[in-house]
Amino acid sequence: MLLAVLIANFEGNILVERFNGVPAEERLHWRSFLVKLGADNLKGVKNEELLVASHRSVYIVYTVLGDVSIFVVGKDEYDELALAEAIFVISSALKDVCGKPPTERLFLDKYGKICLCLDEIVWKGLLENTDKERIKRLVRLKPPTEF
Amino acid sequence: MAQPLVKKDDDRDDEEYSPFLGIEKGAVLQEARVFNDPQLDARRCSQVITKLLYLLNQGETFTKIEATEVFFSVTKLFQSRDIGLRRMVYLMIKELSPSADEVIIVTSSLMKDMNSRTDMYRANAIRVLCRITDGTLLTQIERYLKQAIVDKNPVVASAALVSGIHLLQTNPEIVKRWSNEVQEAVQSRAALVQFHALALLHQIRQNDRLAVSKLVTSLTKGTVRSPLAQCLLIRYTSQVIRESGVNTQTGDRPFYDYLEGCLRHKAEMVIFEAARAITVLSGVTTRELTPAITVLQLFLSSSKPVLRFAAVRTLNKVAMTHPMAVTNCNIDMESLISDQNRSIATLAITTLLKTGNESSVDRLMKQITNFMSDIADEFKIVVVDAIRSLCLKFPLKYRSLMNFLSNILREEGGFEYKKAIVDSIVILIRDIPDAKESGLLHLCEFIEDCEFTYLSTQILHFLGNEGPKTSDPSKYIRYIYNRVILENATVRASAVSTLAKFGAMIDSLKPRIFILLRRCLFDNDDEVRDRATLYLNTLGGDGSVVETDKDVKEFLFGSLDIPLTNMETSLKNYIQNPSEEPFDINSVPKEVKSQPLVEKKAPGKKPTGLGAPPTGPTSTADTYERILSSIPEFTSFGKLFKSSAPVELTEAETEYAVNVVKHIFDRHVVFQYNCTNTIPEQLLENVFVIVDASEAEEFSEVGSKPLKSLPYDTPGQTFVAFEKPEGVPAVGKFSNMLRFTVKEVDTSTGEAEDDGVEDEYQLEDFEVVAADYMVKVGVSNFRNAWESMGPDFERIDEYGLGPRESLAEAVSTVINLLGMQPCEGTEVVPSNSRSHSCLLSGLYIGNMKVLVRLSFGIDASKEVAMKLAVRSEDENVSDTIHDIVASG
Repeated sequence: MLLAVLIANFEGNILVERFNGVPAEERLHWRSFLVKLGADNLKGVKNEELLVASHRSVYIVYTVLGDVSIFVVGKDEYDELALAEAIFVISSALKDVCGKPPTERLFLDKYGKICLCLDEIVWKGLLENTDKERIKRLVRLKPPTEF
Repeated sequence: MAQPLVKKDDDRDDEEYSPFLGIEKGAVLQEARVFNDPQLDARRCSQVITKLLYLLNQGETFTKIEATEVFFSVTKLFQSRDIGLRRMVYLMIKELSPSADEVIIVTSSLMKDMNSRTDMYRANAIRVLCRITDGTLLTQIERYLKQAIVDKNPVVASAALVSGIHLLQTNPEIVKRWSNEVQEAVQSRAALVQFHALALLHQIRQNDRLAVSKLVTSLTKGTVRSPLAQCLLIRYTSQVIRESGVNTQTGDRPFYDYLEGCLRHKAEMVIFEAARAITVLSGVTTRELTPAITVLQLFLSSSKPVLRFAAVRTLNKVAMTHPMAVTNCNIDMESLISDQNRSIATLAITTLLKTGNESSVDRLMKQITNFMSDIADEFKIVVVDAIRSLCLKFPLKYRSLMNFLSNILREEGGFEYKKAIVDSIVILIRDIPDAKESGLLHLCEFIEDCEFTYLSTQILHFLGNEGPKTSDPSKYIRYIYNRVILENATVRASAVSTLAKFGAMIDSLKPRIFILLRRCLFDNDDEVRDRATLYLNTLGGDGSVVETDKDVKEFLFGSLDIPLTNMETSLKNYIQNPSEEPFDINSVPKEVKSQPLVEKKAPGKKPTGLGAPPTGPTSTADTYERILSSIPEFTSFGKLFKSSAPVELTEAETEYAVNVVKHIFDRHVVFQYNCTNTIPEQLLENVFVIVDASEAEEFSEVGSKPLKSLPYDTPGQTFVAFEKPEGVPAVGKFSNMLRFTVKEVDTSTGEAEDDGVEDEYQLEDFEVVAADYMVKVGVSNFRNAWESMGPDFERIDEYGLGPRESLAEAVSTVINLLGMQPCEGTEVVPSNSRSHSCLLSGLYIGNMKVLVRLSFGIDASKEVAMKLAVRSEDENVSDTIHDIVASG
């Protein structure tokens, strides 16, 4: 299960958070944990350079893209490598929507589109689409080209 | 309501301000009224939906009324033909997840989209419908979903398959009917469809071993298109391998060749998954392991941190069971100590600590010292634990390892970290006699400047037990007395007790200890004064407090013997029900084992795995005692000695779930049958159990308590009591039949019919065994307990246990037979060992302490021999333990 996708700005303000199968009372704990993890480790990290950690039986892969940091959390079959795949798709989709690694302003300007992309990529904790070209078409309700 | 951690409302430059600046839920809900306009403005509507999504994504929640209002407005947007807006509407409905009674508003629109000629409408409508649907609606749309699974558009097929995976949790019977279509989708040429289909098919068939095995066999021979699907297949394959075992004739492992082949796959994800699967094969041989270790070693020097992490994490696990297999990677791992990613560095260090040999310890410690200063406490704790294990492995190296621990003890750190270090030093002192003196001095130095009261008191207690046994006990007194002068009341009181222990053990120090204790009589804290007074009287008294020197030592060093949680509950009960009688410490139950009652389990609550701390053990003994004391028929039975763990009397998923708890009293046993009715259409009344005790001759039934009513999914209990000879560990077998009156229930109204039918239900038999008369009570230091028990009632004998599967199996059989508490981790048998010693402790009926030493040996033909030495407070009890083993 892909338990969480969280996108925050550098100050640790949450821009997007999507939890799956995480009880409401644990979300705050995860939010603060991830933000702290980012604050401790993401300084000076290059765009899309992946960092990885594990906390109990859960894996966390996170990175920086432009002005935002992206965290994905998973367990069981969503181990560090599967999460790396997921975060790669998310970053590619973000760059695609924003045209470049986004500034915070650009990210917020394209917020609706970004939500649609995330909806295509992760649905209730399962990775659904992994190809950015296809995602680009799907959010516009266009069928995939290879079909 | 969950508040966002920080709202996005920074006020930097004007150009930088957020489009959501000052966003407020109430205002956005007002704006959402545009959805009701007769002339829809698609762009404006999309903007409002975006704002709603922003609020939801920040953890904002809507009240029921707000959500309903927004939901109804959003459904109006189906009138718009704007494609972008339609996509947003789909997302918004999913996010709002309307309640069952509201869904009806939107189903017809979604059903229309689901049959639309536009593929993408179909895919999205499927996802939304499956998100909001319930069982009844699902049967209506099932036909379309089955078609969608085999749709030629991969997006539609994937939407249906992923929906299937989710629906399987709530409506398994329906989804299981789709297996033919899913099977077809597994053969799809679209990579993702295959991935989703494989996941769903496996979930549908996961309880059918043969089907899973067939699935794996066919797919490992065929083509799997995406790396993700390949990873799934490897996981399922390793499950099949686990269940099938090695071919005993050829020694080959089924599917090993497939896994080994995956090590040469082009996707790193697949290579890693295969390597990991090989490392966790049960009884994996070095030959099988080598190719996997080789690829993991290559990953260690990968430029991708995720791969380095995955590799070192896996090698870390391998090092626990096959340290020699990992040694080839040591050089690569040493270079990871300086890895920028601290998780990787910590894993590398702990792996090296497991695989390193005696000669590399010093070099390793030097590297770690530099590393420790720049990692967080949680990583440091992991390293400390690894160092402790290393020191126990190479006791000769204790000097450098103990020095390392004492150095880091002096540095900055939080409580958990310091506690880990102190615990490690304590364990080393206990297990490595040479390390004792230096270890105690390190601890003394530490308490001179320790900010944690808990640790100071723990160390003082330990010092009191171990310090007097050293060659020069007087050197510790200064450190202890400093605590009396410098610390808070809790630590001072602890220090007073420690001083008293020195005084009791060493006569030459006694006069000087007396001087120090007398000074404590003027302390401003009453606990400190009380303790000082008490100890002065016990140690130098006239015999009015305690009579002999032995009593003094028993008083000072004896353990409480009662679990503190039990003590706390009993005291609370005592305070709540004031009584003339003084509190009797013997009334506190000693049972440590606490298994939650079946009826106390929270229904439907599944572990999330996301780290909610486990709830503390509830004291089951107290709950049982309370239940039993509330039944007048049983109040004359006296004090409850022990309650067993529940024994299941029905198989899982039967109509009625019943288990039994055996409550043991001196002259009675009470069987508590916990019953659950799992049929919603039935109400059971007058429920009781007919017990046939013809194979339990020493027991005679004396009473029972039926259960008046047992509604669906509300557990209840019925009891049957038996009399047995006093103090005798009578054993026997009991057959059980559940009798009740069953009444039909109308599930729509919840009302039961007036007339019922008598019925009965056969339950499994169970036995009262010797272990039921033994309470598991641990001792902290077995050797001390053994020596203080003395050899007066020691009984030793040897037994042949016959051929056994393994030494571990023989050890656990004997432990279970006796029902005693294994001490000091001796229940764990290292693999491949040919002999093993196991220490057990317990309390036998009549409150008799029993200690057991077991020595096992196994020969080449797997014949196990056992030497059993028992010490107890009564020779009959020692003999009984031998009888139990002889007849078991």
